[in-house]
Amino acid sequence: MKKIIFIISIALIMAGSATAGDLTEMNKGMKGRVNHEALYDDSCNACHTGSAKQFVDDSACQDCHGSINEIEIDESQLKMAEANPHKSVHYDQGASCLACHAEHQTKKPVCSECHRTWFEEM
Amino acid sequence: MSDRRSFLKKTAGFAAAAAGLTTCLPAQANGQSSIKWDEEVDLLVIGSGFAGQSVAVNSIRAGIKVTVLEKMQVIGGNSAINGGWFAVPRNPVQLAQGVTDDSPAELVKDQMIAARGMGNEAMLTRLAEMALPAYNMCLDAGVKFKKDFNIQVGGHNKARAVRLESGTGGGIITKLYEAGLSEGVDYRLQHKVEDFIMDGDEVIGVVVRKGYRFPDEGTGHLVKIRARKGVVLATGGFTRNMKLRSIVDPSLDPSLDCTNHLGATGEATLAAMTHGALPVHMNMIQTGHWGSPDEGGFGWSNALLSIGWHKGIAVNPTTGTRIMDERADRLTCSTAIMACRHKDGSPAYPLVFFNKNDHLGDSRVTRAVRDEMAWEFDSLELMAKKFDVPLKQLEATVEQWNSYVADKNDPDFNRKMDTAVKLAAPFVVSRVWPKVHYCMGGLKTDLDGRVINAKTLAPMKKFYAAGEATGGVHGHARLSSCACLEGLAIGFIIPNTIKADA
Repeated sequence: MKKIIFIISIALIMAGSATAGDLTEMNKGMKGRVNHEALYDDSCNACHTGSAKQFVDDSACQDCHGSINEIEIDESQLKMAEANPHKSVHYDQGASCLACHAEHQTKKPVCSECHRTWFEEM
Repeated sequence: MSDRRSFLKKTAGFAAAAAGLTTCLPAQANGQSSIKWDEEVDLLVIGSGFAGQSVAVNSIRAGIKVTVLEKMQVIGGNSAINGGWFAVPRNPVQLAQGVTDDSPAELVKDQMIAARGMGNEAMLTRLAEMALPAYNMCLDAGVKFKKDFNIQVGGHNKARAVRLESGTGGGIITKLYEAGLSEGVDYRLQHKVEDFIMDGDEVIGVVVRKGYRFPDEGTGHLVKIRARKGVVLATGGFTRNMKLRSIVDPSLDPSLDCTNHLGATGEATLAAMTHGALPVHMNMIQTGHWGSPDEGGFGWSNALLSIGWHKGIAVNPTTGTRIMDERADRLTCSTAIMACRHKDGSPAYPLVFFNKNDHLGDSRVTRAVRDEMAWEFDSLELMAKKFDVPLKQLEATVEQWNSYVADKNDPDFNRKMDTAVKLAAPFVVSRVWPKVHYCMGGLKTDLDGRVINAKTLAPMKKFYAAGEATGGVHGHARLSSCACLEGLAIGFIIPNTIKADA
């Protein structure tokens, strides 16, 4: 069954209907982001050290993606210019990746606690 | 995109870094010799809002090494999302406006009136005297305030409130963070302080849940950090702790929404109490009267109403009549607003409205309308229809108000009429209902910021508290624009205390 989902997800990517951050079934029933597929070949150790329960800090994201200041955001996707979460007037660079992003499940960005109409769950 | 090689390289580096963090340091010979510290630092600041950041930046400038622990995944707590008002007597804009008779003492006079006999005049005075240094610290850090902007806000007898260009305290938080980073402050997110480690009456360290992912208490792992020069509790209030809220103030309507960030739960304050820290005024919880039921958090309402309170009126939708002096302080206004109820006791949200054409293009209006927490109406009739207000009474209210404006006199509520204008359609309308906003109560400190012990009523050793986490300063009601002042100002006092105590 997993294999079938896996194949379907690959097919979806080929069809171009999945975007880089979409959640899909990875190994051992764990969900993950399609663009991180290769990471799961290393079991969990690409991001987690020792055990999957271990705290993952921002470096696990930043080593590949760069820091919050370096990541290019497609501003055409934003509801409005000030809704750029990487240039927030509240936090600017003082935000963990995990404030808005999660690897294994969807997450509501911290901003949507107040700005209810600005962001979607990712 | 990256390849497998960089993953492996990264993994190796990450593992090495993690191994370095768990090196145990030698135990201390201070009567707590059995404690195995995971780490030692000089000054430990808990919280990264106005108070925590100001203490951190001013400490490092005084030559004290600082580590800041923030439990959330973002910096700044409530300060990062607050409304961005800052009371600064004798600020340059105020002086340029020709207001030359203000002073720290004038501000304290206003604060003591709002405190209703329960304020700490000596502490308020110390803080007010640090307003200008705090303002200048912000300017030096690159903080942008609204150009040429300085106004009189609720409960103040002078125009002395400046406002951040971005309209939020985040304008200060992000810049102090930048300054702190560049000057060597060690900031850490997702570090939740669970307990204090004591040696008698002295705080010697903390138990921290490192890698905490709010609100999941099962995340992260516990480490012990020794703090050689002391611990500063700058964790804000507890308005989001519903259980504690209802224990200390059973009268607080549990249906009241809250302006605060979700992490304002006060557990560090409670942990300090278990070690003898004296709490005061815990039941004094302020509701901001400028909340809107039509948006989350602090929102746009407060800024929109900075027009409404001056240029408009507040009307009870069930009667169509005015409810209060729109420019009175928070407690007066909250009480009047919450008295507006439907027959079944449910909230009848008062309407605040002003002339649309006097404020065309004002971002306070445009964004509020855009995000659907305010509406524009071409007539009183349309407004009355939308909110089910008795039209005849509403029309009579506006007519009467316009005659008061002409007379420069409000016989109903004795409002100061210098900014009042006649009302004429079209109107901008928003609804108001108080939101729980601020804890006047917290840990009692001395004038230098030392936490007071409940048994001896004397200062505890190496234990400091700052900002909203402290209690007894503002008495019954903190005035608007004074939380920012308090948090930033105490940062100029505590580093001196730490040096004196060393």
